[in-house]
Amino acid sequence: MSAVLIGEILACLMFVGVIGVLLIGFPVAFSLAGTALIFGVVGWLMGVYDPSNYASIIGRYIGLMSSETLVAVPLFVFMGVMLERSGIAERLLLTMGKLFGNLRGGLGISVIIVGAMLAASTGVVGATVVTMGLISLPAMLRAGYDPKLATGVICASGTLGQIIPPSTVLIFMGDMLAGINAQVQMEKGNFAPEPVSVGALFAGALLPGMMLVGLYLCWVIYKAITDPASAPATPVPEDEKKHLAREVMVALVPPLLLIIAVLGSILGGIATPTEAASVGSVGAMVLAIANRKFTFSILRQAVISTATITSMVFIILFGAAVFSVVFRMMGGDNLVHAFLSNMPGGAIGATIIVMLIMFMLGFILDTFEIIFIVIPITAPVLLTLGVDPIWLGVMVGVNLQTSFLTPPFGFALFYLRGVAPPQVSTGMIYRGVIPFVLLQVVGLALLFMFPQLVTWLPELLYH
Amino acid sequence: QDVYNWRMVTTWPKNFPGLGVGAQKLADRITNASGGRLNVQVFASGEMVPGLQALDAVIDGSAEMSHGAAYYWQNKSQALSFFTGVPYGMTSRELASWVRYLGGQEQWDKIYDQFGLKGYLSGDTGTQAGGWFKNELTGVADVQGLRFRTPGLGGQVWAKLGASVTNMAAGEIFAALQSGTLDAAEFVGPYNDLALGFYQVAKNYYFPSFVEPGLATELVVNKSKLAELPPDLQELVSVCAQASYDDVASDMYANDPRALRSLVDDHGVQVRAFPDEILEAGAKASMEVIAEIREGGDALTKETAESFISAFNLLRERTEGTDAPFLTARQKYIKY
Amino acid sequence: MQLLAWIVRGISTINRVAGETLSWLALACVLVCFTVVVQRYVFSTSVLWMQDLYVWLSGAMFTGVAGFALLRDDHVRVDIFYRPASTRWKAIADLFGVVVFLLPFIYVVLTYGWPAIARSWSYQEASGNVGGMPGLFVLKSFIIVFAVLVGLQGIAMACRAILVLTGQQDLLPAHLRYVNNEEAETAP
Ligand code: NA
Ligand code: NA
Repeated sequence: MSAVLIGEILACLMFVGVIGVLLIGFPVAFSLAGTALIFGVVGWLMGVYDPSNYASIIGRYIGLMSSETLVAVPLFVFMGVMLERSGIAERLLLTMGKLFGNLRGGLGISVIIVGAMLAASTGVVGATVVTMGLISLPAMLRAGYDPKLATGVICASGTLGQIIPPSTVLIFMGDMLAGINAQVQMEKGNFAPEPVSVGALFAGALLPGMMLVGLYLCWVIYKAITDPASAPATPVPEDEKKHLAREVMVALVPPLLLIIAVLGSILGGIATPTEAASVGSVGAMVLAIANRKFTFSILRQAVISTATITSMVFIILFGAAVFSVVFRMMGGDNLVHAFLSNMPGGAIGATIIVMLIMFMLGFILDTFEIIFIVIPITAPVLLTLGVDPIWLGVMVGVNLQTSFLTPPFGFALFYLRGVAPPQVSTGMIYRGVIPFVLLQVVGLALLFMFPQLVTWLPELLYH
Repeated sequence: QDVYNWRMVTTWPKNFPGLGVGAQKLADRITNASGGRLNVQVFASGEMVPGLQALDAVIDGSAEMSHGAAYYWQNKSQALSFFTGVPYGMTSRELASWVRYLGGQEQWDKIYDQFGLKGYLSGDTGTQAGGWFKNELTGVADVQGLRFRTPGLGGQVWAKLGASVTNMAAGEIFAALQSGTLDAAEFVGPYNDLALGFYQVAKNYYFPSFVEPGLATELVVNKSKLAELPPDLQELVSVCAQASYDDVASDMYANDPRALRSLVDDHGVQVRAFPDEILEAGAKASMEVIAEIREGGDALTKETAESFISAFNLLRERTEGTDAPFLTARQKYIKY
Repeated sequence: MQLLAWIVRGISTINRVAGETLSWLALACVLVCFTVVVQRYVFSTSVLWMQDLYVWLSGAMFTGVAGFALLRDDHVRVDIFYRPASTRWKAIADLFGVVVFLLPFIYVVLTYGWPAIARSWSYQEASGNVGGMPGLFVLKSFIIVFAVLVGLQGIAMACRAILVLTGQQDLLPAHLRYVNNEEAETAP
């Protein structure tokens, strides 16, 4: 057997093997690195891998530690954590609930709108589901909502943060795609490629994010009309309505200001995502001060959460770097290239297969692991085949947002399970989220058929 | 016969006009000229390590050679800047003369010896373009507070003139210019700049770059790996690098004017010359920057700076006494 | 066995102190970056070394707290089988993972990181940006901090697993034992 073939077989086994290894449940970052090291030793013994390649992982990690673009990640995490503690979400949920309460399906609508607003003001998924689970789920259950609809709406709206910018996932994806795109376009002899940046990816994700919001709203309205018992109105007492206009103003203005300041300055081209994130972080602290929630203890919890969440993500990236060094140097990249280039249907066929693989991986893995492993090995081929980088990034974002929702292991389901009252069974949560998973698939199909939904805004802003 | 499989990491994107292409051509040339005995595989920036980790990759042994620019490693020794080019410094022809015949290579070897490396000149862009400016410059006053992307010692010179200087990766410049995060940016010259699309967002293209009269690229080889090669292959590496130095400059000289025509004719770019006031203030600032390196650095840096300056003073006698008057006359009287 | 319990406690204390201290770099990063933004947009000036500083603060933070995150079980797991598993199986998975994945990874990081970082110290490496921060060798040294703290915490995990497998988990204080509830403490 030739060395090339042995290397490619090992690379193949490694990709399949790592999924089995991850199922053991040891932290992903170390499992990725450890598996790669084992295959590296095997490859070395068979003469197809040179261990001196390992020295490059140090250089790669130093690159991560000194990347200006990626500083946006801890900054957006800090902003999100601080906002979570500033009481904005609670206030928004309560007042929006009153505002829409008189409508059938009104509470559901308010959850979606608040979810979208929180998504547009922070970069992290997770906290939103918990907050809405604590505040809106009991309210909806009291009002007589079908628990399946209530939990589905909360899970889906809570994960919008990943696709509606700013988003930490989109930052990593933008950073990776920018480099890959530059390589691919130069290689193709296109010396004037349209630049890919985190900002452009944010712009590309905005309309698709709003489209998903629209799809969720349509579903709730449809349920309210065809099955009124599942989403009843919650009449608001007259005395509570008196100051409603003022309450709405007070609740809405701070998050709107933050959205305009942060997202507006990125999309309006005034600041880079990192710069805007630092402004947002300071803004979140100011809001917490204004709401009298800014104490030493809260600040301490906020920095600890920021540091550990950020660390978790970057160390996965470190582990994934070890994985991809071994995979690449054993010839895995060539294999993926040959596999995807020969897909029937060309670029479309290759994109569909990558999307399917990611979707399947989403049942067991999380967004970060998937993009750190799959994007570096598939995106170069897809872009070479002519796939638009921004469109690809947004498609992957929506696709993997679904992984938060897919039973049995979606993260959003876990968060909600943790805070839901006992009468809501896990089965109800699983069944409740199914329509929303289907809506995500509809969303993906729409983006597939109308790529302009993604590309129109970045073209407008950046060209 | 022994076959050596070597890895070359670079600081450039694959096929990056001039420089990245130069790296690939150099690798192919070594592979072919050795009849496959020294087989060099190229890794673009980010493929194995990020571009700015390329030299460490060679020191640490995850690659045998790197292709980049010596001034990226000025934090290893300030003197390395001289082997890429310094503000108001040597042209590509002068630099090669210093390195090959006036003591430059000896200095370079002393610096890289500390890291177990050997450096070769491997390409040159020739005199670069001064940069893309959103607004016209009338004098030094216009530079005050100007948000300008320009890296390295050139950046320091512009900072002395009052600009607010930042460095950012090639891929980010366009968006920053467009968004207004930057007022101006310089990269290389027409051949490369056309590729990055700056003409869409800044129309004033200034010439020449007094802070980058040339940008020499280097081929750096791990010395212990080099010593493992038989003498003929060692010689081959050196000869191929020398051929590349010449070849890259030819590529840039041939393609820069074509790209510039396209920028002017197809994209409405205004070609401008810096006002004398800026050229003069820039010269003063450049001399300050070089003096700071010469005085502030370690013994080796000081020695390199002196070697550079004494060679510079010799070489300019020929360039300014013979080439410059000839070019002035040619420009004035010759027309086909 | 008492010795193992002491090792777990000792290492966990080290990582808790290191993690809670280094976490504050997050706030420093926010403030320095905000200062750079204000300088650039309000005063049209820039201080080159500050452009390095907030990037480095972030890098030092997420590298230095990795051991603490492991202590808190913040490093995400694929917990399809792990979560519902018995404490005994969790201990076996952790012991296996530490020995087969984590410690070899740390070994490789130290083997290849040490020479590079020692070299960086030898010439007091500064930022690659002209006018940037001095002390890049300090930032790079966090890779060693990472390896040591994560390696130690891995050893603590292994010790804890052995205590569980030998039926002596009660030698550990409650907060260092395996938890059997379903709460996920943090979000990705
Ligand atoms: Na978001
Ligand atoms: Na330049």
